[in-house]
Amino acid sequence: MRTINTRFGEVEYDPDNLLHFPAGMIGFPTLHDFIVMPNKKEGPLFWIQSVDDEAIAFVLTDPSNFFLDYQVTPDESVKNSLKISDTDDCYVLSVVTVPKDQKITLNLAAPIFFSPKTNRAIQVILENTDYKPKTPLPA
Amino acid sequence: MLVLTRKAGEGLIIGDDITIKIVEIKGGGVRIGIDAPRDSKIYRQEVYDRIIEENKTAMQWDMDALNSLSTNLSKEKKDK
Repeated sequence: MRTINTRFGEVEYDPDNLLHFPAGMIGFPTLHDFIVMPNKKEGPLFWIQSVDDEAIAFVLTDPSNFFLDYQVTPDESVKNSLKISDTDDCYVLSVVTVPKDQKITLNLAAPIFFSPKTNRAIQVILENTDYKPKTPLPA
Repeated sequence: MLVLTRKAGEGLIIGDDITIKIVEIKGGGVRIGIDAPRDSKIYRQEVYDRIIEENKTAMQWDMDALNSLSTNLSKEKKDK
């Protein structure tokens, strides 16, 4: 086990059990490895802590918790990046923006695809989409 | 930044495997054709910049907000 000092305190993690982004997050190509943080509170939100930069963490959620009809599918380059085949599971996650007023938004324009089999993930920008980077929760 | 002039129909080669062609110049816009390997990501700059901006914004959160949000969200779910 190793530990890092995050802005939320000291976090212990297993270096063999990280979520790996081969290409980093969009705009942050050096952020490759994240600790998936166990959720202390009940609810659909969880967060990932960067190992490469202790100051960086993202809140994520399964978008189908809020948007039942949100459907995006991984293309070949996503599957290659995740090192999975057509028969492997691939889950979709959304980055959540939590402003001070707590009116959260989901980035439906740039979903994260995640393979539980390979522990790899990739954030992609959807093309020709009406989904917005700042989508408020349905009323 | 390298700046050069091209006419419609002319092209550029970047590295070994990317070709850019000026397809048409019309009414203040330029139509550009790009041949690149399938795994090269090509984005309109403003779309790409917008996602970077949102990722930056998404990093700014604190644990108190997340905790109280989570409490509210799970309560809402139970109420439904």
